[in-house]
Amino acid sequence: MKTTGIKKINTVVYLCFAIIGMIAVNGCKESKLIAEKNGMTLWGENCQRCHFAPASNAFSAEEWKTVGLHMQSRALLTNKERDKIIDFLQN
Amino acid sequence: MRINKLNTKILLFASIAFLKAGASSAQDAGGNTDIAKQVAALQPGDGHFMVAGLATFGFVNQSTTNTLGGVSTKNKMNSLGDADRFEFSPMFLWRHGDKMLMEFEPSWDGNSAGGIGVNWASISYFAAPNFIVRGGYIVLPFGTYTKRLAAGWINKLPSDPIGVDVAGSDFGVEAEGGLALGSMKCSYDLAVTNGFQLNPDGTTANVGISSFNRGKTVCGRFGWLPLSNSSLEFGVSGLMGSLATPLADSNVYNKPTITMYAGDINFVQNISPFMINLKGQYTFSSVNSQNYNNPDITQPKYTFTNNTSSYFGQIAIRPTQIKNRVLNKLELAFRYTNYVSPKNSTWGQNYKEMDVSLNYWLSWRSVVKLGYENITSDGTTNLTNSTGIDGSSTSINRLVIQFSTEF
Repeated sequence: MKTTGIKKINTVVYLCFAIIGMIAVNGCKESKLIAEKNGMTLWGENCQRCHFAPASNAFSAEEWKTVGLHMQSRALLTNKERDKIIDFLQN
Repeated sequence: MRINKLNTKILLFASIAFLKAGASSAQDAGGNTDIAKQVAALQPGDGHFMVAGLATFGFVNQSTTNTLGGVSTKNKMNSLGDADRFEFSPMFLWRHGDKMLMEFEPSWDGNSAGGIGVNWASISYFAAPNFIVRGGYIVLPFGTYTKRLAAGWINKLPSDPIGVDVAGSDFGVEAEGGLALGSMKCSYDLAVTNGFQLNPDGTTANVGISSFNRGKTVCGRFGWLPLSNSSLEFGVSGLMGSLATPLADSNVYNKPTITMYAGDINFVQNISPFMINLKGQYTFSSVNSQNYNNPDITQPKYTFTNNTSSYFGQIAIRPTQIKNRVLNKLELAFRYTNYVSPKNSTWGQNYKEMDVSLNYWLSWRSVVKLGYENITSDGTTNLTNSTGIDGSSTSINRLVIQFSTEF
């Protein structure tokens, strides 16, 4: 009985990993509301989740590209969010 | 904005044309010249290196009252910074192309006898749009405080809440990403690391890189942002794994394991004229039943329920949208923290802390904090009859002035 229970748990865990993996690689569809958000809106909404939104002149364009990767891995932004925010800060 | 872009493009085009013309005429005059080399030197590569980081220092004035066996002793101290309120941590970032990032953050808190610690040292590969793989010395994805909020210039109060750093950093591999879910978002973060060892008193510590932990620790967090403006986030975390024990003690313990859970919440919203910032985290850890060393070595080993829990809740309010240029830089923050370690262990305590801070923001990343902290801690050790150890209580009142910045 105990072995069966562990097998069930393992199956659920493997399924979860598989689903997350598929979603991660293929991505999920975002709504029109989200898709139409520009970089400035996303900058305001996402940066302030942890800290005040940064000034665009805090880093150079090349530095923003590097900082963008670092912040994506901290805030777990989607690639589209990261690219729009960085494009807004670079310009 | 478009006019600026157009101007920039025209200037760039003109500069390149000028340099090419110069290079060409110089070549005409004498072949490869310095100008041609300078043009080539201006070509951007696909790598980039930069240093960012954080610095924190301040002043602490503290009064401590210890009560043991009905007798109280009081002492006062002050210091220009201390371990929890001084930090200098440069962060080195190397980017290779668009998909690889090396991160290294050493840290000196002035409390490690001249030694410098490391917060993280890792290599990240941005493999797919929502899939980042990382390896090295990583911050474990357990709760949100350690990974996102611990920096002094992000923390709304001068001190870190006790009990949130139970997982810390460890050697391992990690996979993470953010995912769109219609108008919502979610995120996942999974890691496999070397894990922890069990100490003879029941505490745990990272085994480090030379692991004698044959089993590994699995850790992960799932985040959910239900609102389209990302203002609200819920997170759940879990960690489980076997605990290492020194080979000499391998027969003393009964296959020790650790299980940890955490829940966190984050809400940041502009409600005119204020910005409201709410954060909280609950953490629970448990080690399965084991026998531990009795502090009185003449007594046999003993056991206790090795569960530790902690939580904190905090609120910060800043009138960001009022016109007064002094008032709109002020922020008021409050935090309550509770930490309960195992009763009847030598480190058992019921710890409560209330912090309040008035912050003045010099910029988006530089802040001066004036904080007051009140701590009460009651020892919950009950080994008096056998060891002479008595429960004690401690009361601390602390005034802190702190400056913190990101650079």
